[in-house]
Amino acid sequence: MRDEDLARALKADVDEILPSSGFVASVMEAVRLEAATPPPIPFPWTRAVPGLAAAVLALVAAFVVVVQLARTGVHSSAAVAWPPELVRAWEIANDAGLGWIVAASLLAFVCVRVAMRVAGARG
Amino acid sequence: MSAAEDQADVERVLAGDIAAFEAIVRRWQRPLINLAYRFCRDRGRAEDMAQEAFLRAYRSLATWRRDAAFSTWLFAIAANLYRSELRRIPAATVSLEAVAEPQDTRAIDGGLEDEDRDRAVRRAVYALPPKYREALVLFYFHDMDLAATAQSLGLREGTVKARLFRGREMLRGKLPRLLSASGLEVSG
Repeated sequence: MRDEDLARALKADVDEILPSSGFVASVMEAVRLEAATPPPIPFPWTRAVPGLAAAVLALVAAFVVVVQLARTGVHSSAAVAWPPELVRAWEIANDAGLGWIVAASLLAFVCVRVAMRVAGARG
Repeated sequence: MSAAEDQADVERVLAGDIAAFEAIVRRWQRPLINLAYRFCRDRGRAEDMAQEAFLRAYRSLATWRRDAAFSTWLFAIAANLYRSELRRIPAATVSLEAVAEPQDTRAIDGGLEDEDRDRAVRRAVYALPPKYREALVLFYFHDMDLAATAQSLGLREGTVKARLFRGREMLRGKLPRLLSASGLEVSG
């Protein structure tokens, strides 16, 4: 069979099915329902950003501390000279349970991201 | 189907007139349902998939860039959805034997025999692997050009060209068996 015969056969009147009578109404009902549904609540980035920034800073600070301890050795850790402001800030943060807040914020962030990803994949 | 009508309706929907979407559905229901049917070969499922495609189009109407035809954009959404639906729940596989139909008993002249052969060829498309079938369906059955087919499938034109060529070759290879099963002869 030549190319043109094949193309003609493929382009000839193709059997079509007709939409059922209620199709348009069904689609429009779904569309109206969709329009009436309030938009999804966006992730509160403006509120989350300070917490995330604090978490990143805390992680960086922890990393620096660990590196310093590793360099100076555990036995001489008492000799590490900490700036008094940092010591004071650390004490306040410790009293306020900053570690738990940071961990909870990170966990919440991860949960939200995973949920959004899963919802996006299904939507 | 007028591109201007599509654009006007889209503008109205975006301005808050949801009812204007009905005109879009009325205009495009038949092509979208038939495209779905050609993907899944199941009438009920085709309507479900087409409804979901319209809903998805409604949700992302604001993302339609006017540089592409509305029809191409709509078909791209639909083809993308249909393909992922069929990956999730595959359509019943059609064998070559199953697509062959017995010859029309009224076929006493050459005209009807040609018609039978053409119909057999079109039905054989459904026995092709999905990637070739999709390209052939859009290009031939929906009368799209190469660019629109490529856009609808999210592929490069060269890839579509290659798939069309390979699809035609596969059809040609299957044709003798298909036509003998239908009681017809290969010509040309």
